[in-house]
Amino acid sequence: MTVYRRGYNRYQGPITGRLSRLLVLPKYSWHRVLQQRLVVILLIMAMFYPLGCIAFVYLSNHVELLKGFGSGIKDFLEIDGNFFLIFMHVQGIFAIVLTIVSGQKLIAPDLSNGALQLYFSRPLSRADYVLARLLVLLGLLSLITWIPGLLVFSLQSGMAGWSWFAQNWNLGLSVFIGSLLWILLISLIALTCWAYIRRKIMAELSILGVFFVLNAVATIGNNVLGVTWASFFNPRQVIDRIWNGLLGITPESGPAVFGCWIALMVMMTLPLMILTRKLRPVEVVS
Amino acid sequence: MTVPEILFHDVSKFYGEVLGVNKVELRILPGITSLVGPNGSGKTTLMNLLTGLIHPDRGTIMVRGLSPRDPERLMRITGYATQYDTAPRGTTGFDFVSTGLIVAGNTKKQAADLAWKALEHIGMTEAAHRKVASYSKGMRQRVRLAQAIAGDPDVLVLDEPLNGLDPLIRAETVALFQDFAAQGRHVILSSHVLQEVDIISDRVIFISNGMIVAEGEIRGVREEIHEHPSQYMIRCRDASRVASLLFGQDHITEVKLHDDRLGLLVMTRDRVAFSRALTGIALDGHTIESVMAVDANVDALYKYLIGGSE
Amino acid sequence: MNAVFRIRQTWIIARLLLRRVFLFRRSSWVYLLAMFPAVVFLAHGIQMKIQNQWTPSRVTPSALLESIREGAREDEVIEKAGIPIKDRSFQSKQKKQLRNMEYFDGERWWFLSFRDGILQYKHNQKLVDFTKDRLAFAGMFQFYYLRLAIFFGCLGIFANLFRGEMLDKTLHFWFLAPARREVLLAGKYLASVIAALLVFTVGAVLGFAMMLWPHHAAQVTAYWQDQGLSHLFSYISAAALGCMGYGSIFLAFGLLFRNPIFPSIVILFWENINGVLPTWLQKLSVLHYAQSLCPVPVPTNDSMPVLIRLLISPADPPSTFTAIFGFIILTALVLWVTSRIVRRLEINYNTE
Repeated sequence: MTVYRRGYNRYQGPITGRLSRLLVLPKYSWHRVLQQRLVVILLIMAMFYPLGCIAFVYLSNHVELLKGFGSGIKDFLEIDGNFFLIFMHVQGIFAIVLTIVSGQKLIAPDLSNGALQLYFSRPLSRADYVLARLLVLLGLLSLITWIPGLLVFSLQSGMAGWSWFAQNWNLGLSVFIGSLLWILLISLIALTCWAYIRRKIMAELSILGVFFVLNAVATIGNNVLGVTWASFFNPRQVIDRIWNGLLGITPESGPAVFGCWIALMVMMTLPLMILTRKLRPVEVVS
Repeated sequence: MTVPEILFHDVSKFYGEVLGVNKVELRILPGITSLVGPNGSGKTTLMNLLTGLIHPDRGTIMVRGLSPRDPERLMRITGYATQYDTAPRGTTGFDFVSTGLIVAGNTKKQAADLAWKALEHIGMTEAAHRKVASYSKGMRQRVRLAQAIAGDPDVLVLDEPLNGLDPLIRAETVALFQDFAAQGRHVILSSHVLQEVDIISDRVIFISNGMIVAEGEIRGVREEIHEHPSQYMIRCRDASRVASLLFGQDHITEVKLHDDRLGLLVMTRDRVAFSRALTGIALDGHTIESVMAVDANVDALYKYLIGGSE
Repeated sequence: MNAVFRIRQTWIIARLLLRRVFLFRRSSWVYLLAMFPAVVFLAHGIQMKIQNQWTPSRVTPSALLESIREGAREDEVIEKAGIPIKDRSFQSKQKKQLRNMEYFDGERWWFLSFRDGILQYKHNQKLVDFTKDRLAFAGMFQFYYLRLAIFFGCLGIFANLFRGEMLDKTLHFWFLAPARREVLLAGKYLASVIAALLVFTVGAVLGFAMMLWPHHAAQVTAYWQDQGLSHLFSYISAAALGCMGYGSIFLAFGLLFRNPIFPSIVILFWENINGVLPTWLQKLSVLHYAQSLCPVPVPTNDSMPVLIRLLISPADPPSTFTAIFGFIILTALVLWVTSRIVRRLEINYNTE
């Protein structure tokens, strides 16, 4: 039998641009995520509070409709930094739940089904892959955080007039930046949990734990030890301080805003490091 | 004394809107019975139904007088090597085999003895204390086999048991099945390797699209198939002459002469008439060296009954 | 095969699983949750010991410090109490001149806050405050241990009993054992309950011990002879019943739902708003019963939001007997329901 030497060459033709290659992943993921009934229900539920805010903005600009409620109503209906802070907190909680619901099929199945080998054998780097997965959550969570936030801000600006906008433009910017930071933080933490913990339930549990248990742990640490630095381990308090700072609110007590920025950077860097270490096309035998 | 048997009566199983098996009516006697069918035909569903891992939507199943809904008693007489090759986290091969034995009520010592015996049987003693998660595909297959046989069961159910085994172990495993069957036990297996099914099995069950297409001894099944002519290979010295003699018969549909002119392939619609005709030719002085049925095997039956090839 | 054999089988299954539960590296997060109070109180104890060693030699009589009234001027205070041990001046954003002074009376630190030279606020803090630490432990136990540590710990342990094995594609291994499904369920539940009970009661005991550790032996002995033992027993009981209650609920969730996390989030929400619900709805909560066993009520002060005050004080706390009986009934009911489910449970890994 004659065996002829065969040479196989890799594809050498033109390839599409990096961004369009990268966007292929979120394109299909968004489609898949939005097919989940629970995601749609949560998206709808997450719109209730912004709708309430829109009604609130309308009323605050039409105080004459509430004449019967006394003079104090005007102060109550003021649209200021606190109003947007509460908005971001409420939507922030929805963002955590929505991340848990929608994100479970982003990385874990790729790891358990050995799909990383397939991805990385194509012109797609590890950074591209993480970015593509982040984009899925970024797009989804934007729908319930800064997009409705800016909508409420625009409505208020439109109704209250130019002078209000000139005085409070920073509120809109803060909603945008603050929400993006929060989205980035929860997305990175969630992706890391899914990449690190293969069992779906445990991964979701750990995401919940990061945001709820650490909150309690930090509070207890502060109270028992009589310190404030334990708050730096609490993502929710760290982002709260940063939001306060962005919105120009001075809270009565708590850790320094600068320290919180540092803590936030560390909280984002750590997951990135873990993701880089974990997302390798290898099979690990447990 | 009644023969212990496995009975499926009007059994149907659906996975939502997907058909698992439909109206299965089976009576399986002791010996080696092979389930043959393409992927997704319902072989594993039948095995899972038999061992109680899933329950029928309709119909009843009895395994040697026991219901699969009674695992406490059924799993004492049944060993099942499943297709799932995972074991609980951290489980070693030895744990994998011995746990069921301990749960069955054996002392630790008894369970360990039985487990070692089973592991020895399939040549897995060296890796017994390694975690199953670190095993190769073949080793996982073997440890599943060991777990199935460890309790010395009367009913051995094996899902693709020969996959991933090297030829030596494969031969030993086949011998083990034959040994089990010789003791009047049930060995029910599914396999894609039709040649092996042919050699091992006392009976075959052909299943396609969740329905039983045929069942019984291979030869018996072949005899029931009338729409396909039977094929015989005849080796003789004067093949051309024999061919011309046979061609004169009504039941002969085709005769092909072998290139070496020492053999011919004959297709007949009537096996009995063919046998009679061949006897007559031999008595007339033509030397017939051998006659062999070419299509009385699982491979041919599979093609006739299910179509295509595996 | 009689009842005795089945009980033995249950124990065998539980024992086989227990070994794995305790030795798994993956279970370490449960230990972390349970041991956190002990760690934080240990740190607090070390902090107190260090503080005790470094007490200032300059002591101002407490009577003198008590006599200083809010509204006093800085120079008056210094004249009366002497130069403070710590003194810090700074300016607020509103351009107000602020000054904080600290004095020590031998047992307590006194903190005096001035604005524009006038004493605005005065408070003191004991160097070693047993009552405060006991209240801190009570708060930690109710806010963290019952509501979060036991909740999440049990969710992780019990919801995975069957669902986790489904996801790992290993449940068939147990279903092929010669045991009734009910026996398997009982064995798995027993192993998990033992594990959860051991981890969380030991965590509570260690936390309690660490809370007592830095205090004067005489004080601790007096407390121990008075209420200490009964308090410890109550904390252990509350932790144990919490484990049983949450455990049985999450076991059912693991069998009923493909993803038990979402109903669990609902339960987390329900448990945490339970205090503000009508009385009859409050009774449908694990926390309502577990909290009623806690021996020390969490302190509330007027600065605490009304909602928080409502959450930590059940409107109609049940008696100890009712609480224990309630948990047993709940556990029995859930086990009965889950045994019906597990009997019908099928191995179908493709749908996971």
